Amino acid sequence: MALQANSTQTYRGNVLVEAPALPRRPRASLGLTREARLAYAILAPTLLVIVFLVAYPFVAAIYLSLQSKMVGAPGRFVGLANYAELFRDEVFLRTAWNSVVYTVVAVLLKFVIGLAMALVLDQERPFNNLFRTLLFVPWAVPVVIVALNWRWIYDDLSGFLNNFLITFHLTSNIISWLSDPHLAMGCVVAVVVWAGTPFYAMTFLAGLQAIAKELYEAAEIDGASIVQQFFYITVPRLKTIFITTVMLSTIWTATNLTFVLILTRGGPANRTEIFPHLAYEIALGARRLGMGAAVSLVFFPVLVIFITLLTRRMLREREE
Amino acid sequence: MGGSVARTRRILKWTGNILLVVMLVWTLVPFYWMLATSLKKDKEIYGFEATLIPRQPTLDAYRRIFVQTPFLKYLRNSLLIAVGTTVASLVLGSLGAYALARLKFPGRGIIARGLIFTYLVPQSLLFIPLFAVMSFLTLIDTREGLFLAYLGITLPFCTWLLLGYFRSVPLELEEAALVDGCSRLATLVRIILPMSLPALAVVAFFSFTQAWNEFIYANVLVNSVDVRTITTGLTLFIVEDVFFWGPMMAASVMATIPPVLVYLAFQRWVVKGLTLGAVKG
Amino acid sequence: MVNGRVTRRFVLKAGVAAAASSPWWLARSSHAQRAKKLVFWHVPNFTPLADELQKQQVYEFAKQAGLKDTDVEYAVVANEQFQAKLAAAIEAGNPPDVTRLYESNVQYYAANGHLLDMTDLVDKMRREPKGIFESAMTSILYKGRAMGVPLAVNPWPVHARLDLLEQAHLEYPKTWDEFIETSKKIQSPPRLFAFGMCLGLVEDTTDNVMNLLWCYGGKMVEADNKTVVMNSPENLAGVKVIEAMFKTHKIIPPGAISWDNSGNNKAYQSKQAAFVMNPSSIYAYLDGNDKDLQKVTGLYPVPAGPKGTVNQIDTWAYGAFKKNPNPELAKGLLDYLMQPANYDKIIQSTGGRWVPVYKRLFESPFWTGKPAFKHFIKMAETGVPVSYAGSPTPAAGEVLNTQVIPKMIQRVLVENWEPAKALDECHKKIAEIYTRTEKG
Repeated sequence: MALQANSTQTYRGNVLVEAPALPRRPRASLGLTREARLAYAILAPTLLVIVFLVAYPFVAAIYLSLQSKMVGAPGRFVGLANYAELFRDEVFLRTAWNSVVYTVVAVLLKFVIGLAMALVLDQERPFNNLFRTLLFVPWAVPVVIVALNWRWIYDDLSGFLNNFLITFHLTSNIISWLSDPHLAMGCVVAVVVWAGTPFYAMTFLAGLQAIAKELYEAAEIDGASIVQQFFYITVPRLKTIFITTVMLSTIWTATNLTFVLILTRGGPANRTEIFPHLAYEIALGARRLGMGAAVSLVFFPVLVIFITLLTRRMLREREE
Repeated sequence: MGGSVARTRRILKWTGNILLVVMLVWTLVPFYWMLATSLKKDKEIYGFEATLIPRQPTLDAYRRIFVQTPFLKYLRNSLLIAVGTTVASLVLGSLGAYALARLKFPGRGIIARGLIFTYLVPQSLLFIPLFAVMSFLTLIDTREGLFLAYLGITLPFCTWLLLGYFRSVPLELEEAALVDGCSRLATLVRIILPMSLPALAVVAFFSFTQAWNEFIYANVLVNSVDVRTITTGLTLFIVEDVFFWGPMMAASVMATIPPVLVYLAFQRWVVKGLTLGAVKG
Repeated sequence: MVNGRVTRRFVLKAGVAAAASSPWWLARSSHAQRAKKLVFWHVPNFTPLADELQKQQVYEFAKQAGLKDTDVEYAVVANEQFQAKLAAAIEAGNPPDVTRLYESNVQYYAANGHLLDMTDLVDKMRREPKGIFESAMTSILYKGRAMGVPLAVNPWPVHARLDLLEQAHLEYPKTWDEFIETSKKIQSPPRLFAFGMCLGLVEDTTDNVMNLLWCYGGKMVEADNKTVVMNSPENLAGVKVIEAMFKTHKIIPPGAISWDNSGNNKAYQSKQAAFVMNPSSIYAYLDGNDKDLQKVTGLYPVPAGPKGTVNQIDTWAYGAFKKNPNPELAKGLLDYLMQPANYDKIIQSTGGRWVPVYKRLFESPFWTGKPAFKHFIKMAETGVPVSYAGSPTPAAGEVLNTQVIPKMIQRVLVENWEPAKALDECHKKIAEIYTRTEKG
């Protein structure tokens, strides 16, 4: 049987093989093997949930983006007119640029810090459980609260940062963190990173735990340095998790609007405006649902390409 | 050779400890601020009289929450839904991942690859058609409705993550067990799951957290206080243009506790050095 | 699998496990969403007492109308989430029966045929001795019919620190020029800035900015609700004044750029701003939290510009949705809530946040006993909505909700654009909105 792509392969020992098939039974009247029927039975709840609660709304959203529709009013099909209007808007270009910068920088930082965190937590030391829990906690706090809390921290006069800096004589001026066009984006990204890094650390740590100690011991006996061990043992085995985590986090970061909504509302002067926030403002502020859907979906092709490329990369890795 | 490795190890150990301290500070300072604000009198919260350390600590904000709002009800609802979501994600995720990893059926590749794509559409867009679906299913204003909506958020990731993990479990172990007369379900429970504990822990953390923190659907799908969760309850402390920071931070502090307990509980599964003992060569 | 034994037991166990954690209750049919006969969405009125009273009154009415408590749904919806919830509910064909709507929302939903005609009730209200503040009618009238029930008319006074003025031996400034001079004398940055003007990307900014522009003769749109006049020379003059206040005279805190709607409240309440233009929510907050500061707070009309003083009001109204299987109940509820005796109880319990829409109620000791409110009656009578010179139409609502004017002012203050250029861009955007909304 020719080696198919990803999902039908599995490990035998350390080697990637094709998952063996059951001995073929004569086909049941429905045309499905018993195994297939079992699989569908098991997957049915998951598929139902996804179809009704994700797929259907998604298709509805696409259709919405092709309409001129306001809240409470009937829609009118206009094809790609919403998208056309979007590409003519100068705010759109600024928003696109912001969205890319915001997403890329945040994901990069989360990756690096998350990996460092996972490696540190992987080391043996007393009270590791406690440290792990403490470092994961930012993820446990509702995003709304994180944003509000940080908004408060950044506050000009009542905020922690300025109070701290002034009390310890590190500055004599008040820094308007969120009002300064040069600082605002950085401040928002800092919050995104603070809240999202635990996810990376969590998944990377799970991956690190799955690597057998013997492999490191064997490599050490063979004379490999720590650095070599890291790059030749750890990294290859974490590649899948790296890619999955980055993929998911990119999607979530790019489509999250809460931080911008609460911290800056897209300001100052559109410096922190990103797609999901723009979509929200249009869909609910201007009540133009069709246009809002279009803004939300504009990034969609980019993300699809991104995911496809990454998945293909991931599969190719596994075949090595 | 051994010496330099040992030295590198020591350097790494101390670097690790320093980094740990830095990360702990960076992580915990905002929590300190949250906690401190919740213990301050209103005057100490705002303006130039804002203090780094509460000078007149008070539990008034906490009292206000419990006395003036049905906070305990919110807590109960959030817990029920989050626990339900976590359990269902673990069970359905494991079963689904098992099917995708070990069974052959048409559409297998598509489903496995397609799981990730379900995350492409943001909740901030989905919530309106989702509301229509829930309305149709008469699940508005019910805990079950929220539970289902959250499964839509957690199941794809959990299934995907477990799928990856299950695939890395060598076949020989299950084959041996099956030859010995175990049923498939038994091999799943007794062999595959124990080897995937770290991933299961992540599934538990993820599901609980998503369900616990979710805001958009909770806001739109639920009205009555009996069913309301903590996240929407928290925003009620923002009344028009007035923020009641003290009570809001107090409620936030309390809302952070259950997820922390969940993390502590499942830490046991994130154990170092799980060896794939039966691996040959 | 070498030995692919798919035993029946396995199938059974898997099936049970899947079923146990899957939504079998989807099959139940007994949960009907319109079991409720009266659905009221309450947006918190600011004081817990007022909220409690409103709830009581709704249930009292229900009992009078022969309903059981279980027939009533009383949902509290936070202000921030209200738009999202209402949008979803309307789209699914399941709006509440009665709720509070802000300004242009009444005309928006009326235009799309969602609201019940409340002209009868409003006429009844106007027939009360002394009637109501007619300025409240601008937002609720749609094609000559009253599509909402005005609940409150809120002037936007300037909250002023009387103690600081006294210290400097100054009077409350009568013109904007005086205002700037006075501000420079009483402020002590960075601790205390004089003018807490909201400049963030929020609704308060539109309100603050337009209020100043009106005093210079400017306005957003003509009374025909079609001719946009944003790039007029009068508006330009006003914007230049704001620019000077921020950049040259530095009487506005730089952090105002990132304020949300509570920013100016917090600034005044924490003594970081001396003058703040805001509805009396600040005053009411001080009533419960800082009586000392309240004693030295005066509520004044806005200083005059070359074209005089123009003050702003905004209106809240109750709306009843047509998709109501029991419209008489909705109308009856509103009638009950607006009966002066019931209404007054709630108004008084908001500590000065809500100004009654019945003129007569404004003469009660509750108001006359508060010297700070002495200018209020005139402001309520002569005030204009933010959409001046037009009325709060859906187009005006969209301009407000999408922060067109805050973005314009930030172009000038943050990106250092020429005011004329920023106003031109703003004018184009607003004109586009008005044209599009006209087309329908």
